[in-house]
Amino acid sequence: MEKAFLGIDIGSISTKGVILDENNGILASEYIWTEGDPIQAVKKLLGLLEAGFDKSRYTIVGTGTTGSARKLIGTMVGATVVKNEITAHAVGTTTFYPDVRTILEIGGQDSKIILVENGVANDYAMNTLCAAGTGAFLSSQAKRLGIEVEEIGDYALSAKHPVSIAARCTVFAESDLVHKIQTGHAKEDIIAGVCNAVVANYLNNVGKGKRIASPVVFQGGVSKNKGVVAAFEKALHCPVTVDANGHLMGAIGVAILARGSKERREFDFSVENTDFHVRDASCGRCSNNCEIICVYRGDELIDSWGNRCERGSIRTKA
Amino acid sequence: MEQARKKVAFPRYAEYNCGLRYLMEKGLDVQCILPPKLTKRTMELGAQNSPDFVCTPFKTLLGNQIEALEAGADTLVMTYGLCKLGYFGELEKRILRDMGYQFDFVDLSDYNTGKKKDMLRALRAINPKVKPARFFLALAEAVRMTEYVDEITGDYYRNRAFVRDKKAYDGIYRHFLTAMYAAESRHDIEEGYHKAKLELAGAPMDRPENPLRVGIVGEFYTAMDEFSNLEVEKKLTDLGVEVHRWMTVTNRMLRYPGDNNLQVQIKDYVSYSMGCNTTANSWAALDYVKRGFDGVIHIKSANCTPETDAMTVLNNISSDSQVPFLYLTFDVQTSDVGLQTRLEAFYDMLAMRKKVLR
Repeated sequence: MEKAFLGIDIGSISTKGVILDENNGILASEYIWTEGDPIQAVKKLLGLLEAGFDKSRYTIVGTGTTGSARKLIGTMVGATVVKNEITAHAVGTTTFYPDVRTILEIGGQDSKIILVENGVANDYAMNTLCAAGTGAFLSSQAKRLGIEVEEIGDYALSAKHPVSIAARCTVFAESDLVHKIQTGHAKEDIIAGVCNAVVANYLNNVGKGKRIASPVVFQGGVSKNKGVVAAFEKALHCPVTVDANGHLMGAIGVAILARGSKERREFDFSVENTDFHVRDASCGRCSNNCEIICVYRGDELIDSWGNRCERGSIRTKA
Repeated sequence: MEQARKKVAFPRYAEYNCGLRYLMEKGLDVQCILPPKLTKRTMELGAQNSPDFVCTPFKTLLGNQIEALEAGADTLVMTYGLCKLGYFGELEKRILRDMGYQFDFVDLSDYNTGKKKDMLRALRAINPKVKPARFFLALAEAVRMTEYVDEITGDYYRNRAFVRDKKAYDGIYRHFLTAMYAAESRHDIEEGYHKAKLELAGAPMDRPENPLRVGIVGEFYTAMDEFSNLEVEKKLTDLGVEVHRWMTVTNRMLRYPGDNNLQVQIKDYVSYSMGCNTTANSWAALDYVKRGFDGVIHIKSANCTPETDAMTVLNNISSDSQVPFLYLTFDVQTSDVGLQTRLEAFYDMLAMRKKVLR
């Protein structure tokens, strides 16, 4: 049996999974929508991965989870590595592009920039309070214009006179956009304007004060949007590489981290059919009222977190 | 008939209320009402009654003053500072009065002239019968206590990452703080300090030869108060980092070498003082970099103007020295998931860099 490693990246909008062999070859990969239910999404994802994967030849000996639901899903699938998405992206990208200097990443709800030197990250930033310039903004504007999110790129590239849209804030961008629609601008010009606004917002917020050096790699769901890629190339005056697997890079990165870790545990696809649910408890021992997240497998409490002090710790039955 | 002792409260400020309590009770002969520890409720009360765009510490302080009044305080004392903090007292007083509370308010910025005469007036506003000799004796002891609190807190966060039994180690620190809050004499202070110092030093430790060292700089309230910064220091030590923080009351107020003396040491980056703590923080960050720290974390609250200014200086220090800096801004939100992600990523980055650079 050959060894394989599973990486799962559970984002706010999409859930990604890959199975890697020992030489970074992708044995199976899937990309589905999270649809507000990470547990169901991961079950569905595992079903799809299992179908496309040769179980008689490979065994999965290490599992990594990343993304905003990494802890919950890590508990659920019995992960050997639970890593934040910034590290996962940096590791994934530097493995495939050893001389990369700048990694741009725009996902559904967040965006980040990672600066790399000598193959290791030496600075990063992540958006804090604002969702402007992320995938969620693009998809809501696509809906307003009556087109599919996947079509944005083609529309944007066919624009001749992109309109200018305020990039500072989603609320202003949106009212600016509505105004441009109502004054009768062509759809493709508006869409190209939205793509430019996303890039301007990204560079002004996340990329503020960072020295962006070439080679630049762009990933995350939004990297599939050709309009945004073109806008980045124009703004940065350098080519921007988009990997065919750029949207999976977080999952790939965490699978690589699982391979590098010493911990080994065989992964069991049967979690697909096991019932997992989460309950929210309020501690109530002091006026802080910590929200404690309790994760159950069937009726059994398997993990809990969220308490700030000892008083709120819930002991699992060992 | 003798008047009942005043019930005086000062809002929670990191772990410095033990010294303030000692000073009030021993030096000013008033009863100190210790407001409850900061919790989500404090923040909610404060945010509800504060202007929206004021800096976050205002909201925390106001919420805690409401809690102090609920606990029975009849006199509130508020400090002054070099930034918007100077106006906090006046605004708090008006908001609390509008809410219908009745209390005496002693705003130290009314007496902030540096003259001895005005200092005495401030003390008399708290207790008209104050005995200056007694006050200054208690002040010296409270200052000593504050220095001890900073020293022990420093030891605690420097070593917590490496101790074998974190729970016991946390216990030593907690007991020390309890002893300081309960101290009734110089003897109690000394005893509590020496006990903690010995116990902390005696805790079994597995210290790696070359651990990751991170220096913390930042705003005078948020960088020091563990509720306000969502326990950044504890989280870092959980990851295995040796944490240093220069910014303490001891360093900034009791033993401060003065802006001018620090200014000359950072003249490559700063040509004039930007006020408040920017000089101190720029100096501390540069000092960490020179001493070979692996990273620096800058902490500020939302809408803090002086620290926003300091960030541009820190950016230059970071890019010249190639030492990663992480900038964290804290607001009224109390979920720490995003913070955990950023700290873990920062830790991973420093650890990987250290491996490659060595």
